[in-house]
Amino acid sequence: MTYANKKEMIAMLLAGGQGSRLGVLTDHVAKPAVSYGGKYRIIDFPLSNCANSGIDTVGVLTQYQPLELNAYIGSGQPWNLDRLHGGVFILPPYTTGKDGVWYKGTANAIYQNMPFIELYDPDYILVLSGDHVYKMNYEMMLDAHKESGADCTIAALRVPLSEAGRFGIMNTDPDFRIYEFEEKPSMPKNDLASMGVYIFNWKTLREFLILDEADPDSANDFGKNVLPAMLAAGCRMYAYEFKGYWKDVGTIESLWEANMDILDPSVPLELDDPPWRIYSRNMVQPPQYIGASAVLRNCSITEGCQIEGEVENSILFPSVVVKRGAQVSNSVLMEGAVIEEGARVEYAILAPGTRVCADGKVGCGRTGDGSHPISVLGQGAVVEKGAEVPSGSILSAEKGA
Amino acid sequence: MLDVLGIIFAHSERENLRELTDVRTLASVPMAGKYRMIDFILSNFVNQDIGDVSIIARNRYHSLLDHLGVGREWDLIRKRGGLRILTPYGQASTNTHAMYRGTIEALAANMHSFRRSMAQYVILAGSCMIYNMDFEHILKSHIDRGADITAVYVRRPGGRMSIPLHMPILHMDEEERIMDLQVNGDDMTPNDSPWGTGVYVIRKSLLESLVADAMVGGRYDFQQHIIQRLAPVLKILGYEYKGHLMEVSTVSGYMQANMAFLDPAVRSQVFAEPIYTKIKDSVPVVYSHGCCVKNSIISDGCHIEGTVENCVISRNVRIGKGAVVRNSIIMQHTEVLSGVSLDHVILDKDVMVRENRSLSGHSSYPVVVGKGSIV
Repeated sequence: MTYANKKEMIAMLLAGGQGSRLGVLTDHVAKPAVSYGGKYRIIDFPLSNCANSGIDTVGVLTQYQPLELNAYIGSGQPWNLDRLHGGVFILPPYTTGKDGVWYKGTANAIYQNMPFIELYDPDYILVLSGDHVYKMNYEMMLDAHKESGADCTIAALRVPLSEAGRFGIMNTDPDFRIYEFEEKPSMPKNDLASMGVYIFNWKTLREFLILDEADPDSANDFGKNVLPAMLAAGCRMYAYEFKGYWKDVGTIESLWEANMDILDPSVPLELDDPPWRIYSRNMVQPPQYIGASAVLRNCSITEGCQIEGEVENSILFPSVVVKRGAQVSNSVLMEGAVIEEGARVEYAILAPGTRVCADGKVGCGRTGDGSHPISVLGQGAVVEKGAEVPSGSILSAEKGA
Repeated sequence: MLDVLGIIFAHSERENLRELTDVRTLASVPMAGKYRMIDFILSNFVNQDIGDVSIIARNRYHSLLDHLGVGREWDLIRKRGGLRILTPYGQASTNTHAMYRGTIEALAANMHSFRRSMAQYVILAGSCMIYNMDFEHILKSHIDRGADITAVYVRRPGGRMSIPLHMPILHMDEEERIMDLQVNGDDMTPNDSPWGTGVYVIRKSLLESLVADAMVGGRYDFQQHIIQRLAPVLKILGYEYKGHLMEVSTVSGYMQANMAFLDPAVRSQVFAEPIYTKIKDSVPVVYSHGCCVKNSIISDGCHIEGTVENCVISRNVRIGKGAVVRNSIIMQHTEVLSGVSLDHVILDKDVMVRENRSLSGHSSYPVVVGKGSIV
């Protein structure tokens, strides 16, 4: 017997980006593997969205610093993506005979994996990026895609017109059919910004990927090349408005803000949402212990942490230790960070495995205009006893303080 | 992998945990926040490279099945060995209630499953204790000393001066050979005799024949009818375990064991190696403005707005504004609304304590509020 392996829709998750604007935080990991929200990685959001939307076949396209991301995804079991038919697949670039090149762009990455996609003979293909924090039902988007009879549907977020110049903007008819793309327009005509989430009819996309690949002048990028080409050829392209929380965590500031959003009840990002859980790989840590001298105000703390000091407006990841007399405020402390006695950390992101020794200071004080630039300690960085990392500065393990 | 089949009894015939075991078998009694009793012994086996484990469940094992699933979180999905949960099936002719008359009958009823295991040795254990044993060394000692059965014992564990009720007191000669066994009937008087932990090492083929023989004679209790009765003819040796041990068979013992986890020395011993448990994808704990938390264990998924002192709190618990909870154990999905005051209370799962209620017990007799109650 032969059994059909057909899937209505599979997802291709672009996870090869370096995330260079995150600086030391992506020295050792790809951006989708960057930690977020106490026990998550950024990639948990698209993967959990897929699992919760009933999408059981996901290709993850990796390229830059893939080891940690590969280990993190593993068999896909935490996201229920270890499936008999389908599941999660890591898809790095590979060679075929004499050929074989790095992924030249987002469209080329999908082009190179056409043989993978065709294993599942999908009607539709969902293209995702691993850079955003949001909860979205892709199945509803597919319903809209089918209903409009589109060749391509692009998820869109309404942004304030004043900020529209930072996004790829779609100009649409009243029925959301797109008639024009404008990348970072100086005079935006519309407030619908692309979220980098696309549904394509696979047969149509396949043709355009082949055409795009044949064009030596193309950057092989969806936003720059493929989508405009489709529009020019008269394809039916629709925007699909998404109304929930969405955040691009591409910079130090936005990563810090997205973490702080968890503590703000007025922000519509509900992580504690049983029908739409965000799954993550479990660290196997004992429950947290809050000591007799601890003072906690408006913070999020997770398994394995041991807190004896003061923590305010902060997000603590697994196994963080805050010792007696230490003060942490407005900060993001990633896995295993240790804040020793008398140390102070303010407005900072501490990467995994960092340590602030006794009486050390990170990010204390403010600039002349009263703002609080974010300080960053790179993975494994140590602030020596009594040393100070000034507000807004970045310390990597190699440099030391 | 050690050449061992681990067999765990999920129940105890001697426990007195009152309401806590009305709704669940001993092995699935919650402990130390997010764990169940079974997690400790099961993790100990897995950490000691014992990947072939059978759990004998007798009754009220729904929560145990739900907790363990197929054993994935303990890495016990294996082609060889792995986890098996053995539930009773009643036989109309003989034992309609499917209640084993003793540990020997429980073993006999499941012997067909043990026979399939390729392991040569069996390690038997109960579910009422938390310890971290070196099973590799215990097995080596069993083999090197030519024992028929090795019984792991303790002597004043953690300085404890009395012996828990119904525990077997062992009489051994200077070679650690067990001469006699006596079930403890007095848990008040100081006594520094060695007592058994219920952990036994035995060759599987010998266990099979001893169990078959006992069943023929209508003898059902492993301790009395195999260890005590056969002490003169078999070489039954003691092995002293000197590490940390907690015993949970009464409500006050349960309270003490939970509270012991607030001691960093206890935590560092128990969690020296990973303790696995069911993964629930709970969110990190949120501590709101105005909360006050001191000396407590809090599990993920909780939201704390009130005051919590000297408590052990399981997953997904809500402590409302102005609530004051002291010296208490709160199990998962329980809600303590605003203005509530609790002291020395054990709130089981899915309990709701409404606004401004007040409950107070004593360390020797904590108030236990049963699963699903609304106060």
